[in-house]
Amino acid sequence: MDNEITLSFIAKSENEALARMVMSSFIAAIDPTIEELSEFKTVISEAVTNAIVHGYEEDGVGKIEIHAQRLDREIVVSIVDYGRGIRDVSQAREPLFTTKPEQERSGMGFTIMESFSDDVEIYSIPDRGTTVTITKRFVPIQESSRIV
Amino acid sequence: MHEVERVGDEIIIIRLKGELDHHSTTDIRNEIVPLIKNGSIKVLVWNLKDLNFMDSSGIGLILGRMRELAPIEGQTIIVNPSPTMKKIFQFAGLSPYIYNESEIEIMSKLGGIVYGQ
Repeated sequence: MDNEITLSFIAKSENEALARMVMSSFIAAIDPTIEELSEFKTVISEAVTNAIVHGYEEDGVGKIEIHAQRLDREIVVSIVDYGRGIRDVSQAREPLFTTKPEQERSGMGFTIMESFSDDVEIYSIPDRGTTVTITKRFVPIQESSRIV
Repeated sequence: MHEVERVGDEIIIIRLKGELDHHSTTDIRNEIVPLIKNGSIKVLVWNLKDLNFMDSSGIGLILGRMRELAPIEGQTIIVNPSPTMKKIFQFAGLSPYIYNESEIEIMSKLGGIVYGQ
């Protein structure tokens, strides 16, 4: 039942969809509810977009790695970049805060990650990179089928 | 993938399809912005019925257009969001713009507002 993968790609926006697709397949064995799956995809999308847009300014060169582990019904995913880093992590976590309003980034990324998962840890060093580690626990299958 | 339909001078219906993320917002924005800047548009209807996925880029896209509509007191209407999308809109304070009606119902209502019937 337990599993582990690593995915590596460059900072191009078309890879956002690829990362969501791979991570959806990775959790398929857990048999998540439709809503759990769509919330999980959103979390991955937010973290990967942050790495591409803020870590590397979409340079198409920088490397992003996703390490994912599945332990029973718990998923732990780390999204790692080696880009410019976050100067002020607590400010970055504030709803609506964004350094790129001109690109219509809404500043809701971390709020969504926190709301749709059980834990979000951010480790960042300026000009060295950022690692965001997300933990999400999925409800037991019996419970989820009862809801349906 | 998306469909933009202009109804009369004042209404644009945007039917989003597939997945809306940072990558796919650029094309949609480039198509809608010139239409709004032309001046006569008063209502944007976002129909999310065929949208399978949306992240916070959708918030940025819709809020950006709301800002452009603000000077002319234009209206924003969102229909058919999924439960996950509803939550995302709620986080960003956009719940008041979600209508629990179909596109057709909204359009017949708008007929009344826009043409003063």
